[in-house]
Amino acid sequence: MASQPSQSEYVTLVSGDGFEYVIPRSTACVSGTIRRMLEPSSQFSEAITGRCVLENISGVVLEKVCEYFCFNEKNKKQMNVPDMDIPPELCLELLMAADYLDT
Amino acid sequence: MCMISVDVVLSINMSPRENRRQTRNQIRGPHSALTDFLAANNISAAQIRDDHQRRLRDAERQTTGEVLPSQSEDGSRESPGDSSEQSKKRRRNEATTLAKIKQSKEFARRKARRTDPKNDDDLIAREMMCERSRPVPGQLDNCEICSKRFTVTPYSKTGYNGGLLCTRCSKSMKDDAKMAQAKKQGARISRRQNQSNLLDGVAQQGALSLVEMCIKKVADNINDIEEFGDLPSQLLRRLSQILSKRRALDPRTLNLFLRPELDTIDIYDSAKLETHDFQKIFTSMPALVNVNLRFAGQIKDSVFEYMLGRELKIKRLQLDATNLVSDSYWRRLFKILGPQLEILKLSNLDFSLNDETVKVMCGCCTTLRRLKLNQCWKIGDDSLQALSSLNSLEHLSLDLTRETKNESILEVVSSIGPRLRTLSLEGFPNADDELLQVIHHSCDSLRKLRLSNNSVCTDKGFRRLFTGWSNPSLEFVDFSSMRDLDNSDLDSPEGVIGLASEGFVSLMEHSGTTIRKLNISSCRHISRDAFEHVFSGGKIYPNLRELDISFHTVMDDYLIGKILQCCPAIKKLVAFACFNVRDVRIPAGVALIGGLKAQGTIVFEGTS
Repeated sequence: MASQPSQSEYVTLVSGDGFEYVIPRSTACVSGTIRRMLEPSSQFSEAITGRCVLENISGVVLEKVCEYFCFNEKNKKQMNVPDMDIPPELCLELLMAADYLDT
Repeated sequence: MCMISVDVVLSINMSPRENRRQTRNQIRGPHSALTDFLAANNISAAQIRDDHQRRLRDAERQTTGEVLPSQSEDGSRESPGDSSEQSKKRRRNEATTLAKIKQSKEFARRKARRTDPKNDDDLIAREMMCERSRPVPGQLDNCEICSKRFTVTPYSKTGYNGGLLCTRCSKSMKDDAKMAQAKKQGARISRRQNQSNLLDGVAQQGALSLVEMCIKKVADNINDIEEFGDLPSQLLRRLSQILSKRRALDPRTLNLFLRPELDTIDIYDSAKLETHDFQKIFTSMPALVNVNLRFAGQIKDSVFEYMLGRELKIKRLQLDATNLVSDSYWRRLFKILGPQLEILKLSNLDFSLNDETVKVMCGCCTTLRRLKLNQCWKIGDDSLQALSSLNSLEHLSLDLTRETKNESILEVVSSIGPRLRTLSLEGFPNADDELLQVIHHSCDSLRKLRLSNNSVCTDKGFRRLFTGWSNPSLEFVDFSSMRDLDNSDLDSPEGVIGLASEGFVSLMEHSGTTIRKLNISSCRHISRDAFEHVFSGGKIYPNLRELDISFHTVMDDYLIGKILQCCPAIKKLVAFACFNVRDVRIPAGVALIGGLKAQGTIVFEGTS
């Protein structure tokens, strides 16, 4: 999918409070929701612009989500991967976001 | 007076004997206790020396007598020679101390610990020497970090530059070290955790999903959480599972799960809940449809009474170990809730739920689609007879403890068999080939079939069951412990007892294409040839994900390799007590459970 020439290698995720995170497309597509948003055949505006606005996720949480995307990419082929460090005060919000993002 | 004190200060490098003479305190190592004493009284040796020299200069300047200048001249003449001799001595002493230190064990330990090549031996030894000349417990020193004056104790820590730290700074440094250690541990899952995951069949590549990670984190911090907000119910369910496993579900945490808008409550471990907690569940969740309470030992008649009074629309009811409920209340429950119940699962009931109650249940629960009665001690032949009338049943699981007649179960299967999609029968020691025959004739829509722990059914019976069976191929098969207990009569005229070679081959011919989960543990009469035939080249079982082949002594590395080849989707391979499975290469993502060596479960990259 990422090999298609029309698609940029990076996508931008925008949090509800306006923070923008630019991450590689392949890492972001770990999330089912984002993958479906960016599906080229869908003709969603997200797919065309490569920019996903996630209204209901705050910048702090989205940063953690992006950290997870990269963490996941880094540990893709490894066994016995430890859990990522999640601050306790963030975990419920992050859980809601993860559930929404289908991650 | 001041002269004496100067002498004393200079005596640091004098011989111990002189030291002893001049100081009352004991001496440790190369430095004098007096230095400590002076330091403790905030007297600086350097300052004293400076003062002394200043006074000497002053005295020189205002010379009045002859003796004094000559003395001072003497001193000045002697002192350079003396100091050079002293410094030589000092250097010599230092060299011997360093040499001694370099031979010590502590030195070797430190050297080994350091990886930095810049740190040469001298540096380390010198560092250690400095440390040795530190104040001893009971004396005073200035903290390296906050420069506060404090009393040295045996617990005082060393700072980053070799100086001692006060109690507060020591403590904070210790905490830092602890944190660092904890992080270090977190960086790698322990071996024990690994094995534990493997036993759960988890041999996943890459990181856990973010949801799963967060749920674990939430469970870790359950005591700090005041409410879950609007978490969806499938996440609540997973949380309940994790908390139950950790035995952390108590009246306080239960409150987190009680949300009036939800229609489901799943508490997998209610052992810590009291009668009023159960009542609270039914009070605060008026929309309940699915009720699942396990280890609910404190549910009593009064709870049932209360629940029935709430007019709940319960459709799925699963209760485990509710042994304080009397038969009369079970009957009331079935009379009131029965007509709306679709799923009923009861387990571990040793006090009530007798045959009469089961009859009432079967009379009332006319729309029941799924029924599971596990380890209900009072269920006998009469109950089985009553079960035959449950015409809407699609899933039936029975695990009996009382011995029943073969005819009873035959009647059940022949009357409700055609609709059944699940048939799970455990604890029927008297069931024989006739049961297999009845299944063959009556059931034609089964997806899941379990017959276990029986030593009467024969291999021929199994072959007849699977040969020409109109039932579509199965997805879930469990024939564990269908075997003869006695090895002696393998060649008896009736054929081999239990699921053996012929039965296994015909099972796989019938269901091989769709089978997802297969348990044939302890069916020990399946021959090596049969395995080789079933898992021979070219045969593919595309959906088989879990396979249990425990206690098959014919199983070896070659056969396991064949199995892995024929089952591309396999995730979990249980092989307890397969003593010939030694050095098998397991592809990544497959959990081999119960290998001979703990090392054997290490997962290798790449498939064969």
